[in-house]
Amino acid sequence: MAKTHENYKELVWRLARTDFKLRYHGSVLGYVWVILKPLLMFTILNFVFSSIFNFRNSGTPDYPLELLTGLLLFQFFSEATMMGMTSLVSKAQLVTKIYVPRWTIVLGSTMNALFIFGMNLIVLAVFFGIYHKVPTLTGIFTFLVYSIILYILAVAFSFLAAPFYVRFRDLSNVWEILLSVLMYASPIIYPLTMMPDRIQHLMLLSPFAFIINFAKQGLINNAYTTVWHFIWLLIGIIVAVALAYLVFQKYEKKVAELI
Amino acid sequence: MKDRKEQNEIAISVKNVSKQFSIPHEKISSIKIAFINLFKKNASENFYALKDVSFEVKKGEFFGIIGRNGSGKSTLLKILAGVYTADKGIAKAHGLISPFLELGIGFNPELSGRDNIYLNATVLGLTEREIDEKFDSIVAFSELERFIDQKIKNYSSGMQVRLAFAVSIHANREILLMDEVLAVGDSNFQSKCLREFAKYKEQGKTVILVTHDIATVQRYCDRAMLLRNGEIAMLGSAEEVGNEYIYQNMSDEEKRIIKEQEMAKIKAEKDMIKAQIEAEKLKGKVLEEEKARLEAEKQRQAEEQKRLEEERKNKVAEIISVEFLDKHGNVNNAFETGEIIQLAMESNFSQPIQDPVFGFTVNDLSGQIILGFNTKDIGKKTGRCYGRKIIKFSFVNYLGLGNYSIVGGVGRITGEILAKKKDGAFFCSLNKKKYSHGLLDINVDVSL
Repeated sequence: MAKTHENYKELVWRLARTDFKLRYHGSVLGYVWVILKPLLMFTILNFVFSSIFNFRNSGTPDYPLELLTGLLLFQFFSEATMMGMTSLVSKAQLVTKIYVPRWTIVLGSTMNALFIFGMNLIVLAVFFGIYHKVPTLTGIFTFLVYSIILYILAVAFSFLAAPFYVRFRDLSNVWEILLSVLMYASPIIYPLTMMPDRIQHLMLLSPFAFIINFAKQGLINNAYTTVWHFIWLLIGIIVAVALAYLVFQKYEKKVAELI
Repeated sequence: MKDRKEQNEIAISVKNVSKQFSIPHEKISSIKIAFINLFKKNASENFYALKDVSFEVKKGEFFGIIGRNGSGKSTLLKILAGVYTADKGIAKAHGLISPFLELGIGFNPELSGRDNIYLNATVLGLTEREIDEKFDSIVAFSELERFIDQKIKNYSSGMQVRLAFAVSIHANREILLMDEVLAVGDSNFQSKCLREFAKYKEQGKTVILVTHDIATVQRYCDRAMLLRNGEIAMLGSAEEVGNEYIYQNMSDEEKRIIKEQEMAKIKAEKDMIKAQIEAEKLKGKVLEEEKARLEAEKQRQAEEQKRLEEERKNKVAEIISVEFLDKHGNVNNAFETGEIIQLAMESNFSQPIQDPVFGFTVNDLSGQIILGFNTKDIGKKTGRCYGRKIIKFSFVNYLGLGNYSIVGGVGRITGEILAKKKDGAFFCSLNKKKYSHGLLDINVDVSL
């Protein structure tokens, strides 16, 4: 029995804010972790790859900036999908004790990652200053467009996976491993140019690698993909969203009984 | 035109709703098990939580749903709330629903009471501005002013319910679904809630209450529905449905006792047959050994029997049974108001006793004694008793609606209690009249 709930917008917003409030709740450093976590990871990886493997002097002078941008995008995606996938279970009360449209729960949960990403963008800006790098306006614009596309992809995945996670809790472990596979299969900690040409083309077939690579390229090297490739990406995203919509629509009804 | 008018008067309509659950014998919660189960026959069975349920609730009505655990009450409420979808049939609500199923809805234990009010109210569809306006009134209703900035996890369950309830009624929706909520709050809060329900009713809003508390249903609900094994057993005035529920529970209890006795009998027979078969099976050497063992066992049992009998002999008296008889002398466990209840108590004296005292008490289910009687108090001489003795008491049933238990007792004239029988003697007082308040149901005359 479908019921009308008057303001979904506020509900999603409230759920997202609550999540964010609870995220670092009980920790001494609190919201500092939002910035500290990617920074620490960046410091370690930067030390290893800049100093030991010397990526910086082998064709990618802006390696630290590329690394940080890639890491932030990856973390954004991984947080959003993880929170989105587990949302129906972690907010089981909202599923089993009342009716709110379930999509609000999933969407609200992914927004947490959006907040964190937004805060991290400030850190990124600071680092651009430190390395005396000024991105072009087109570069910033493409970066933001790719970020939005990445978020849409993460949301689509969340809607696809959330109903199944209710049934198979293994999915979170599987996805965690897949995420690390995704990380090493994308040009995040190493520059794409390190790979042989053939492999490069193969890698860019992955929408995730494609988005990360060109978001970085636009921002740092003012380099862009062709219009046709971009349209293919959009088509792919639309298909993913449609699929997620259909699957969620179908399985959402049974969710309350399975939790 | 007429249709539309009717539509406007109906708050909830449920038509032929069925809901089936499959109970897996093993919960499929990992891919591995799901994978294994692909090759096994599906290890699950279906059962109907609701079977072809239809009813309507009018606007402004206070509707009660009662039934035993597992009768489908909560499933029905969850379908009404939209949490579950019905397999068959249609459940429709005309108006927004404020469901209140179990403890707090969006409650997060790590957040403060204040944050939870905002969260919960948003879930119920209030905007931030509306919540700001109603905040003080919500807090005042919940009586939690001092604790409002404390985390919910430090609240008692009663406090949580109060808060949740306060938010729920401030959500200002047309239909209120309440599942067993009154059970948690204290009596002050309960009466406050019920007053609030009455206000709701005046505003033409609908309240649906699921509860075990027959008294509340009979006092406040206009109509009620009794569910039994997922089907509507009765739908009618709250008074009648409540009585029916009590009556059914009573007969269920009886059935259970009879079934237990039967099971014990069957088990004893089975054991005997088993022993016989075993004895036949064993031949030769084994037979000898087994025979000896059985012999020893028999002897042991005989000794045990002897010991028990001796013990019984040492017991001066015991009460064998307490039964209720109607005016025709038939065993009965349910009596209407004004009917004569006969109590037949059979006891056994293993020693001759001069003028023993027989007595009984009628207790309500909480153990409170409502009526106490013994033969000494009225100066009745019972004579010399030895062996079996049946004594009958009779009294008019002036008890209010409910279940009562009887404790029978035998004692010496000096006051020493010889035997008591507590278990198994229940009866039910029915009340077909329109009113029933309190423990007793006594006719009152009025003159002006």
